[in-house]
Amino acid sequence: MSRPRLAVHALARCRPSLRVAGLPRAPHGAPRRALHATVVRQHGSITRPEPGTGIKLNFRDAKGDVLKVVEANEGDDILSIAHEHDIDLEGACEGSVACSTCHVILSPQHYDLIPEPEDDENDMLDMAFGLTDTSRLGCQVKLTRTLDGMDVQLPSATRNMFVDGKKPTHH
Amino acid sequence: MPPLKLAVVGGGPSAFYVASRLLSLLPHHQPRGADLKIHIYDRLWAPHGLVRYGVAPDHPEVKNVTHKFDQAAADDRFRFFGNVQVGPQSSHIIPHALSLPLDALSQHYTHILFATGCTIPTLHDVLPPSDRIQSALSLVHWYTQHPSHSNPPPLDTISHVTLIGQGNVSLDVARMLLSGSSALEQYDVPEVVLDVMRRSSVRHVSIVGRRGPHQAAFTTKELREMMNLKDASLLPIDPAVLEPPPDAKLSRQQSRILQLLQKGSVNAPRSTPKSWSLDFFRSPAAFSQLPSGKLRISLAHTALDLHERAISTGETSALETDLVVTALGHHADPAQAFYDPALRHLRTLSGRIINPLGRAVKNVYASGWAAMGARGVLASTLLDAYAVADTIIADHFPGATGATTSIAPTAPPAVSEERLTAENVVLNSIPAAVEQGLEDGRVVGYEQWKAVDAEEVKRGAEKGKERERMGWEEARTFLARPV
Ligand SMILES: Cc1cc2nc3c(=O)[nH]c(=O)nc-3n(C[C@H](O)[C@H](O)[C@H](O)COP(=O)(O)OP(=O)(O)OC[C@H]3O[C@@H](n4cnc5c(N)ncnc54)[C@H](O)[C@@H]3O)c2cc1C
Ligand code: FES
Repeated sequence: MSRPRLAVHALARCRPSLRVAGLPRAPHGAPRRALHATVVRQHGSITRPEPGTGIKLNFRDAKGDVLKVVEANEGDDILSIAHEHDIDLEGACEGSVACSTCHVILSPQHYDLIPEPEDDENDMLDMAFGLTDTSRLGCQVKLTRTLDGMDVQLPSATRNMFVDGKKPTHH
Repeated sequence: MPPLKLAVVGGGPSAFYVASRLLSLLPHHQPRGADLKIHIYDRLWAPHGLVRYGVAPDHPEVKNVTHKFDQAAADDRFRFFGNVQVGPQSSHIIPHALSLPLDALSQHYTHILFATGCTIPTLHDVLPPSDRIQSALSLVHWYTQHPSHSNPPPLDTISHVTLIGQGNVSLDVARMLLSGSSALEQYDVPEVVLDVMRRSSVRHVSIVGRRGPHQAAFTTKELREMMNLKDASLLPIDPAVLEPPPDAKLSRQQSRILQLLQKGSVNAPRSTPKSWSLDFFRSPAAFSQLPSGKLRISLAHTALDLHERAISTGETSALETDLVVTALGHHADPAQAFYDPALRHLRTLSGRIINPLGRAVKNVYASGWAAMGARGVLASTLLDAYAVADTIIADHFPGATGATTSIAPTAPPAVSEERLTAENVVLNSIPAAVEQGLEDGRVVGYEQWKAVDAEEVKRGAEKGKERERMGWEEARTFLARPV
């Protein structure tokens, strides 16, 4: 593959690293993720492109039926796009890779174009309901032009998944 | 449309997710939403259950869920009443909560939802609580300053701690003990807690489980955090234990956990001031107290039978430790209505409360840990809550469509004769005792909580930390201040 992996990668990993003003850095030197006085992903957190100029996404429900076809800009993440268009995708931790509620299933040919998830995303995917081989966390996937036409399907859930306590693991 | 006036007992994430779902599926301007009221009661003065009084302070991202709860609370069909204990409770009394009998709700509500969680720690048969044996929940209550007032652990006089149980709560406690106060100062850790942590002499944490790495209940993320601790290292694990059985079909999570265990901690074993160990296939069989005050625990060695149950091999070994912390899960309060002793939580079918004869109690529901037992992270609590909200709507507006969850409500079971709720209610009424409590400043509304919340964040910012928590007395004084 000849795509500029690093550059795309940097895009895919851009997380809200906003911090509460005045707080010291984490002692480990690593930038901490958003404390909860930060961005709420709602309408208006991204801008919609001029119709016909954006990157197309087909949001599909758990059965595979199209919910909405939307257009978005390069760099927008799937969770923010979903919220902008009233798609029922949760983002309980608001993009901090701490909840797995933004789990989506991507079309295989597009999934392969996205840099592989890092450890922390994989750790959360371990706990996602209805995990597939092309599952990602919506908050971690940022759009590039090559993703035009991608399917974004919401996972299916069944009562058994949580009632029998098999998944996710006990706390 | 008949009104849907719902009392929710318990104000944790499950309650708020059900409320949020009902409020958004039955919007104000639609006829079905016009006569909707949701009143949440919690025995604690502050809302959000384990998100405030459970989630570890160094997981601030997890607490972002409260923004969604705030949005639900902003709807004028929603009210919160903190500091109201509904129905009987066994021993774990919150001293300052107003006690309200369950039937005091009956005449005011058409529906009741129990979202009371699993508030009681499961104890270990041979390790009864004492000053040297505590439940993980009491430690969690201490570091979150839960209104039940747990005593601080004697961290300044001990060096070796043994955790019994290998779930995420166990790892939360281990992380809190091994992180060091300087790593925690920036978070929502109360000053009184930091004071104890600064004086801590804990050097080693042993995490004991009766089964192996494939049965451990912790998740990859929490294990990785342990591996990355700055001042601590994992003592080597017997490689034989980390060998998957030849015919084992491991789940994705199991194999990733195994890889992580094989790699070990970022810091080489014993290269750090503190250490921890994962002791698999060990089960406490007896203990004695040594003259020094230390405990000597006799650990039975175990192996798995065909059903993955731990059985003793007959071998034992001894472990000397200063403090034992049992992290064996939680169960619902047996004093509660509809508690099933066999299940250790409330008896439900798809979210509907079921009486001992298997019949549904009309318009009475349960959700969250109260209904499922104490398992599952917030993501599963959310899914369950949405499914229960959809069931409430399907029962109340039969034939109506619109709920969009992929978990369709099951057909309603046979209904019993008993009634806990009323059909004709005054939409805005609340029990007189609660009304009085509001006037006296004993019962806390959501706006008042938001005022405390803002003040806590402000006080925290002055110290360069996420927030500085108030206890009830402080909050009460703050709320009574002249403005
Ligand atoms: C220590 C700990 C840490 C956790 N950390 C995480 C984490 O980092 N990430 C994650 O995803 N999940 C975590 N979880 C799991 C998560 O907290 C649960 O999934 C979730 O809280 C369950 O929600 P609930 O509303 O059913 O119960 P709870 O949160 O327990 O809420 C129940 C509420 O009911 C109230 N109540 C009980 N009885 C009465 C009564 N009789 N009258 C009035 N009120 C009553 C209680 O005071 C409480 O506020 C953690 C759990 C624990 C125990
Ligand atoms: S929003 Fe929580 S992991 Fe994506």
